[in-house]
Amino acid sequence: MYPDARGYFGRYGGRFVPETLIPALDEIEKSYRKLQEDDRFKSQLAAMLKDYAGRPSPLYFASRLSEKLGGARIFLKREDLNHTGSHKINNTLGQALLARYMGKKRLIAETGAGQHGVATATAAAVLGMACTVYMGAKDAERQKLNVFRMQMLGAEVVKVAKGSQTLKDASNEAFRDFIRSFEYSHMVIGSVVGPHPYPMLVRDFQSVIGEELKEQFVQKEGKMPDYIVACVGGGSNAMGIFYPFLSLPEVKLVGVEAGGKGLLPGCHGATLAQGREGVLHGALSLLLQDEHGQVAPTHSLSAGLDYPGVGPEHAFLKETGRAEYVYIRDEEALKAFYELSRLEGIIPALESAHALAYACKLAPRLRPDQSIVVNLSGRGDKDVEQVAGIKEV
Amino acid sequence: MIKGLRERFRYFKATGTTGIVAFIMSLLPDEKTCLDCIKALEQGGCDVLELGIPFSDPLADGEMIEKFHHRGVEKGLNLDKGLEFAFKVKEIIHMPLVIFTYFNPVYQMGIENFRTRICEIGAEGVIVPDMPLEELERLTAKDIEVIPLVAPSTPEARIKKADSLNPPFIYCVSVRGITGMQELPEEEIKDYLLRVRNNSISPLALGFGISSPEQARVFKDYTDALVVGSLLASVIEEYMSQPGRLPQEIESMIRKFKKAVSC
Repeated sequence: MYPDARGYFGRYGGRFVPETLIPALDEIEKSYRKLQEDDRFKSQLAAMLKDYAGRPSPLYFASRLSEKLGGARIFLKREDLNHTGSHKINNTLGQALLARYMGKKRLIAETGAGQHGVATATAAAVLGMACTVYMGAKDAERQKLNVFRMQMLGAEVVKVAKGSQTLKDASNEAFRDFIRSFEYSHMVIGSVVGPHPYPMLVRDFQSVIGEELKEQFVQKEGKMPDYIVACVGGGSNAMGIFYPFLSLPEVKLVGVEAGGKGLLPGCHGATLAQGREGVLHGALSLLLQDEHGQVAPTHSLSAGLDYPGVGPEHAFLKETGRAEYVYIRDEEALKAFYELSRLEGIIPALESAHALAYACKLAPRLRPDQSIVVNLSGRGDKDVEQVAGIKEV
Repeated sequence: MIKGLRERFRYFKATGTTGIVAFIMSLLPDEKTCLDCIKALEQGGCDVLELGIPFSDPLADGEMIEKFHHRGVEKGLNLDKGLEFAFKVKEIIHMPLVIFTYFNPVYQMGIENFRTRICEIGAEGVIVPDMPLEELERLTAKDIEVIPLVAPSTPEARIKKADSLNPPFIYCVSVRGITGMQELPEEEIKDYLLRVRNNSISPLALGFGISSPEQARVFKDYTDALVVGSLLASVIEEYMSQPGRLPQEIESMIRKFKKAVSC
C-alpha cells in the first residue's frame, strides 16, 4: 500500500516542511484515518457528492468525435458537469468536512486556474466556514471570471504579485498563511501534491471518479476500457481516475502534461517529461528546475497546468512504468478545444483539452473495438474569454 | 573569545550569558557591501554568523527575507556561488559560520558534494528550514553539524528527539511560523522556551521575529542566544543606496543588541 508510513511512494513524497507544520500534518493524518472508518462521515460525504455536487458524473460516448477520428471509440467522463464545473469539488467537499470534524473554522486554498479556489470557496460557503484563496496575479488576470465567483461566494481572494505570479507562488503564500494559522485553519491543497498526507488525501477523495467509471464502463460495454487518458498539472484528476485501475494492468493509463510552446526551458509545464528529482511545496518528486536547484519558470496556455512540480505518486507511477506520460503543446490543445465544442457541443477546460488532444492522436492508431476514456476534468466557460482572444489556427 | 560553534554555545549556557547570532543573505546587495556588513557584524560583537543562500521558493521565510531571496535569484545567485562566497567570508571572520539553505539546492548539488564543500569552507553548522527532524538524517554525518529547529507547536517528544541529535544548539522558532518582525506574545514565548529547556540539555537559540534590543532583553534569560535576521535585512534595505554608511549602522545595531543582552 502506498504511501508507506512515512508518506513515501517509493522514494517520492515525504514531508519537507518547516518543523512548525509537523503537528498540523500529524493531526490531519490522524483525523483522516479515523474518519475513513467512520460511517457517519462517509455517508455525509457521499450525500454531499450526490445531492450537492451532482454525482455520479455521466460517462458519455462521443460518437461524432470517434467517427471523425476513425479507430478507437472515445468516451468522456463528464467531470465538467459537476457543481462548480470541474472535478475539484470532490476533494474540497471531502477536505472541508474533514476540517469541520477537526474543529477548524477557516479554509485556506491556493489556486491556479481558479477552479480549485472556486470549489473551496463553495465548500466553505455550504459548510459555513471562512475562506481565503491565494491566486497568482497573472492567473487572476487571465481567469478574472473565477476571481469574481470566489468573491461572490464570500471568499477573500489574495492576489500574489511575487515571483512567477502563478500557482507556484500562490502556493508559497498559502503555506505561509497555514503556518501562522493552523490552529484554527485548514489548508485545502487542491492537487495530489504537498507534504504527506495531502497526496494520499486528495487522491482518495478524487478516486470517486475512477470508482464510478469502473462501474459505468462495465455496465455500458461489458468490459474494461483499453486506455484512460487524463491531463496532469499537479495531477489530481488523473490520480483520481487512475487509482482504482492501478491493479488492472490491461487498462493503460496515460497522463498528459502541458507541452506549452515546446520543450525549451521556461516554455512548458511537462514536469514528468523534463523534470529531475527535487523538493517543492513539501514533497520530493520530479521538478522543473535549473542545475542549481532554483525552481524554473513554466508556461502553458492553461493556468491549471502551469506548474513546475507534480504529485509524487505520478513520479512513482512513471518510474514503475504503470502509467505513461506524454505532453501536448498549446496549439494542439486549442485545436482539440474547438473540435470538441463543434462536434459534441461540449466546451472543455483548456486543461482537459490537453487530454483530449492526446486521445485524438491515439484513437486513429487503435482498432474500432478498442476504447479510450478521457477524463473531461472541467468545463471551458472560464477559458472562453482567453480563447476568444487567440486567433484560431 | 572561544573558538568553535559548539564551544561558544556551551560557554553561553554554562555562564548564563546570551550570544547574538546574525542572519545575513550572501552576496547582497553586492559582494563587497555584503563583506563589509559581515565585518561590521563582527566588529559590533556578533558571536555567530548565519549566512543565507538565496532560493526561488523560500516558504519558511517572511516577507522581508523573502525579498532578499528573490533578489538573489534574479541576480543569478545559487548555492554554488553562495558557498564560494562563504569561503571568502570564513577567511575574514573569527566567529563561527553556519550556512542556511533550503533543501532543494543541496539535493541538486548532491549531499556528498555539499558536505565536502561545507568542510572545505570550515562552516560549523547547517540549517535547512524545510527539513523536519525525520529528514535531517539525510544530511547528518560525523563531519557536519545539522541544527534542528523546533517551534511553539512542537510537542515534547519531538523536542526530546531534536535534543537527542546532540546538536551544537537547538534553533527555537519564536513566532508560530515564518521569519519576520512582529509583536511577540511575551509570556507565550517564555513558556515555550521553558518547555524546550525542560526537555533538552542542548543550548538554545531563539530566532524568527526579534525586532528590537528591548525585546532581546526580555528573552535573554530564557535562551542562550538570540538570532537577529529580519531586522538586519531591513537595515540593509534602508541603507542600500548608501553602502558607505551601511557598515556603521549595522555595527551600532549589533552593539545595541549586545548591550541589551549583557546587562
